[in-house]
Amino acid sequence: MNKDSQMRAAINQKLIEMGERERLKELLRAKLVECGWKDQMKAQCKDVIREKGLEHVTVEDLVVEITPKGRALVPDSVKKELLQRIRASLAQHSTL
Amino acid sequence: MKMENMSLSGLDNTKLEALAQDIYSDLVEDACLGLCFEVHRAVKQGYFFLDDTDQESMKDFEIVDQPGVDIFGQVYNQWKNKECVCPNCNRSIAASRFAPHLEKCLGMGRNSSRIANRRIASSNNTNNKSESDQEDNDDVNDNDWSYGSEKKAKKRKSDKNPNSPRRSKSLKHKNGELSSSVNTDPYKYNYNTGINYETLGPDELRSLLTTQCGVISEHTKKMCTRTSLPDSNTAVESDGYDASDGQVLMSRLQWDGSSDISPSDSASSKASTNNSDSKKPKKKKKTSLNSTGGGGGGSGSVGGSSSQGCLAGQANRKKPKLPVPPAPSIYDNLN
Repeated sequence: MNKDSQMRAAINQKLIEMGERERLKELLRAKLVECGWKDQMKAQCKDVIREKGLEHVTVEDLVVEITPKGRALVPDSVKKELLQRIRASLAQHSTL
Repeated sequence: MKMENMSLSGLDNTKLEALAQDIYSDLVEDACLGLCFEVHRAVKQGYFFLDDTDQESMKDFEIVDQPGVDIFGQVYNQWKNKECVCPNCNRSIAASRFAPHLEKCLGMGRNSSRIANRRIASSNNTNNKSESDQEDNDDVNDNDWSYGSEKKAKKRKSDKNPNSPRRSKSLKHKNGELSSSVNTDPYKYNYNTGINYETLGPDELRSLLTTQCGVISEHTKKMCTRTSLPDSNTAVESDGYDASDGQVLMSRLQWDGSSDISPSDSASSKASTNNSDSKKPKKKKKTSLNSTGGGGGGSGSVGGSSSQGCLAGQANRKKPKLPVPPAPSIYDNLN
């Protein structure tokens, strides 16, 4: 198990070095904006803010409330595409 | 490091998939965090709620879904039947036609000047014609517009001046070494060549025909201006032919005297001209022969007994050797 996690870390590191991770992140962001996920999440944020009060809301509040909803609201198509891209990059970088 | 040497190929598919999932969830979490930071900053800076509209305005601009009305609540053809008064001519114009009318009325549109000019031109034509030429009055009245175009067409035709310098330049190119005087002289003769061969004196004819082909094409009435180029290759086939050719031509001219172009001869001369013209791009042995043969044909066209020479010229293409012996033999008597 340790070996695996180590290897994962190593691979992650490699992805970062190749700049692939950055690319993947940008891709995901763009797709989320496109599909309207961002607007949905902003609406959720508004609710949270109104609940907590404008002056006293903290980052932690938002993170705690928003992240699980955000994970759930990602559309399937985006998820599938991103997984595909990740697999492709892994395959590409495994040979290097 | 040991880790760097390990490759993914060591992993099986499930692990690979798990790895991919992990990476994916990391990415999504990054996105969420990014969003939270953004929102929090907007809240603290005070611009988070700025893009919201208040409830009253929301009611005003609500989407309308009634029949006969668009989503803004406006009626589609509200102004269709209304009429506007033109400020220029004070006429009442339908709304949909108002803009084009205004364009023409004020004279500011793209087509308005064109139409106005056309009208002026046609009215001028009718006025002028009716004054000057009474006979054509009917015609003019009948077709205003076409008369104007006819006039333009005629004008254009006359622009194609046969005497234009451009034409003479092309001739100059053909003849290369010739002086300009020689060029212009035959160029003038291009029109009424039948007459001009008669009017040319023997010296002029000699200078003309030694340098150029001289065959007159029947349909264009133009003289062939191909030069009989001295070609070293031709010496192989007929040594004395070229040399004697000029003399032959001159002698034939002197002997014939008359320079009528009979129809058969002119037809043959045309054919021989065509021969020489077609042979021009190919610079081979036969070209000079053909040109001289054509020249022989051309000079043959001048006289009545030239048919044999013409045939010789035509046959030159295929069997250059055959006509060569007879030609000198015919004129040996003359010389």
